[in-house]
Amino acid sequence: MKKATILFMFALLATVSVSAQKYITKNGYIRFFSSTPVEDIEAHNRQVNSALDQKNGDFVFKVLMKSFQFEKALMQEHFNENYVESDKFPNATFSGKVKNIGEIDFTRNGVYQTTVEGDLTIKGITKKVTEKGTFEVKDGKVIGKSTFNILLADYGIKIPNTVASNISKTIQIDVEVNLEKLAK
Amino acid sequence: MKRKILTAGAVLAGLGLIAGIFVYFFLFNKPHTDYSKAEADFEMKAVAVFEEFRTNPELASGKYNGKVLSLTGELTAVEQPDSLTIAVFSYEEGMFGSEGVRFTMLPEYAGSVIAVAPGSTLTLKGLCTGYNETDVIMEHCSVVK
Repeated sequence: MKKATILFMFALLATVSVSAQKYITKNGYIRFFSSTPVEDIEAHNRQVNSALDQKNGDFVFKVLMKSFQFEKALMQEHFNENYVESDKFPNATFSGKVKNIGEIDFTRNGVYQTTVEGDLTIKGITKKVTEKGTFEVKDGKVIGKSTFNILLADYGIKIPNTVASNISKTIQIDVEVNLEKLAK
Repeated sequence: MKRKILTAGAVLAGLGLIAGIFVYFFLFNKPHTDYSKAEADFEMKAVAVFEEFRTNPELASGKYNGKVLSLTGELTAVEQPDSLTIAVFSYEEGMFGSEGVRFTMLPEYAGSVIAVAPGSTLTLKGLCTGYNETDVIMEHCSVVK
């Protein structure tokens, strides 16, 4: 009994220690933007789950494809039904590391330039990506921001010829996550 | 004869114009669905939906994603990140804190949930967009009762 209690205390201490190093949000923001001479198309998603481990730099986010909001209902329908097939592939994920996590001083307010490297999965296709971004430490919170481009063809997203002039082959992705220390 | 051809041409042009207007307003520019007025595909307890997603996410996704759900449960909290108002029904404590069902309220219903005390029983209706391994996400939500 005594041994079990000691083991439980060790497990509890380990959990507290690990969770104190994690920053999370359930309301991260991702926007994608396509620009062509014919029209600009953008969509917004404010339901992004994201977590950053301060100790080892692990950084993940998960996006529900059906949570993207478009200005036009028809665009949203085409996006879900034809382009990303969100019934078949409901999530997009990123799982990687902040390569220079050691350069971020989580105890001091400031903006830190970072490089994030990992696996981006969209429509069931995973590609290695390395992108620049910033992490701003502000009053105990961490605001992560990055803007990068993806090629639709890399993720098996085919645009029909009839609307090929309306949708860019390269899409700009903006990510902003306001991470808070996981309280436990 | 020439007059008949001109008349037929004018009629065809008119029909084409009407078709164009129809396509522009009712297809290309059709409005987003008003989920507060939509009929629910499923009416059930929120905890039951959460359990289905948690135990078999693939099966539950096929059943509920993109469907209108009317879910009843106990309000745990109301969060207001940025411009959103999110009603939360929590059922578990996981690696990312509390887990359950998260309802993003339509702006006109935000005040209704803010006014409700945590612990109260609510029925909220909206579009289920899926499960992100911690929570079931509901969008465009309104208060049923």
